[in-house]
Amino acid sequence: MLEFLIRRVAISIVTLIVISVVVFTGVRMIPGDPARVMAGTDADAAGLEEIRAKYGLNDPIPVQYLRWAALAARGDLGRSIRTRDPVITTVARKLPITVELACLAVLIALAIAIPAGVLAAVRRNTVWDVLASSASLCGVSVPNFWLGIMLILFFSVRLGWLPASGFVSFWESPTANLQRMVMPAFVLGTALAAVLMRQTRNSMIGVLSADYIRTAYSKGLAGRVVIFRHAIRNSLIPVVTILGLQAGALMSGAVVTEQIFVVPGFGRLIVEAVFTRDYPVVQGVVLITASSYVLINLLVDASYSLLDPRIRIGGNP
Amino acid sequence: MNPPSAAAGVLVAAAGAAPAGRLRRAWRRVRRRPASVVGGVIVLLFVVLAIGAPWIARTDPVGTDWSQIRKAPSWTHPFGTDDLGRDNFARVVWGSRISMQAGVFSILLAIAVGMPLGLVSGYYRGALDQVLMRLTDAWLAFPFLILAIGLVTIMGPSLTNATIAIGLGATPTYIRLTRGLVLSTAAEDYVQGARALGAGDLRLMARHILPNIFSSLLVQATVSIPIAIIAEAVLSFLGLGVQPPAPSWGTMLNAAQQFLESAPWMAWWPGLAIFSLTLSFNLAGDGLRDLLDPKEY
Repeated sequence: MLEFLIRRVAISIVTLIVISVVVFTGVRMIPGDPARVMAGTDADAAGLEEIRAKYGLNDPIPVQYLRWAALAARGDLGRSIRTRDPVITTVARKLPITVELACLAVLIALAIAIPAGVLAAVRRNTVWDVLASSASLCGVSVPNFWLGIMLILFFSVRLGWLPASGFVSFWESPTANLQRMVMPAFVLGTALAAVLMRQTRNSMIGVLSADYIRTAYSKGLAGRVVIFRHAIRNSLIPVVTILGLQAGALMSGAVVTEQIFVVPGFGRLIVEAVFTRDYPVVQGVVLITASSYVLINLLVDASYSLLDPRIRIGGNP
Repeated sequence: MNPPSAAAGVLVAAAGAAPAGRLRRAWRRVRRRPASVVGGVIVLLFVVLAIGAPWIARTDPVGTDWSQIRKAPSWTHPFGTDDLGRDNFARVVWGSRISMQAGVFSILLAIAVGMPLGLVSGYYRGALDQVLMRLTDAWLAFPFLILAIGLVTIMGPSLTNATIAIGLGATPTYIRLTRGLVLSTAAEDYVQGARALGAGDLRLMARHILPNIFSSLLVQATVSIPIAIIAEAVLSFLGLGVQPPAPSWGTMLNAAQQFLESAPWMAWWPGLAIFSLTLSFNLAGDGLRDLLDPKEY
């Protein structure tokens, strides 16, 4: 267990280092003079030279990388060209909004996927299974931004039930917040629900044919007890793994969803930054997204031990 | 029958030029999945649409007509017109060309880069494998769209750059997949046998390993292409892919968003086109996976 965790942490650290090199190199590859990029278009030659000296742009590239990485590790990701605010405070302001959206999306996805997946597995090859599988296939295939537009068309334009866009902080008004979050969260959760449902169904089918389930049945336990007490818990382990791996897709989805519903989160920040050529913000957001993906999956691996006692005790999973 | 020729046979069977017996067996398996057949037919229809766009849509997809702004669907404009008076039907038809191009070429790029890397990594193993795998881990940590956005920021928005960005986003999947397949295939007796007969590394890889993993890569491609098609639409929707006035389904949806109340048809058709194409690809892919699965032979 401990050995497994140490190995995973070591691999994660190597991955983070590679990510930082890639992000640093990526920004260096933007055509043009980085000093000009930082100064904006209205700087003169003396101003450019001053920036070069100030940020050490005349130093060798590896030296520049180390300096940048040291600052980034302490949370200093530079300042936005547009607003002059530190990137890290901008991100800290936007991130909670996206985290709320993502958490709601995961909740919606789990609330759909687990019951549907379990039902499809238990009632295998019946009309329920076919229905659940078809819904899942549609969920994977539907482009989420079109789904978002269709929901706005139906619930906001036609029925006028929900506001089409905007954001109200949860602390200001929980109802207004949820009213505006429910459609984006549903849109973001659809694809995830589809993937999770398939995984739940498959692993549930696997678990249901395991010996210990047969034992539970032969002890005379009711079907309900076997499924709820014995089968679901074990079938959820691969589901948690998929959830971690889907974190990246969730972040990508958040970019589009926030764009459609005008949610002022992390995803909208990166799109705005790209259009205003705000490179420090793009760099910071990409670095933070990739790093959080690594950390989330590290946590997922660590959480196995909570779900599966075999790993906690140190046996071979 | 030795395995390489069996795998080649499966591929030939899929292409429709195999001995009668195998073809009949394949047909029997296909017939059990009518949904996949329908999916395959719709994908083919979209291919025809993409190739035949100039003949199928006789109206100019970028020609504006100020007297026909945001007209509801009618006989002359079956899908209505957009905010610049352009015919939506023509734009949806021409849009299939862009979607197909982005979907297919990006995945071809991902295979062209990912397969050799995975092959080398899985075949030689050792330090090279370790380095490549750590790079792949880092590569995978960039969410698809975030990576594509980053790359498009560096390279500038266009269809070609969006295709490259999507392809590079899909590459690590193919490195991992190829590596895994090579690891298991290289341990097979017939590969060991060929090695014992004196076959060199190149010959082993090209003649004995690649043909056997090819069908798995093909199946993965049917999973990746719909994802790539949606990714192109998303990038164009965000303004980071195909630039107006070119008719991409994503840019059409972007324009439609402003006119949801007055011209909802602008949002229906491009979205339905993406949905039906990706759904059909997924259905056809399921069938192909079933057909190529060597376990059932």
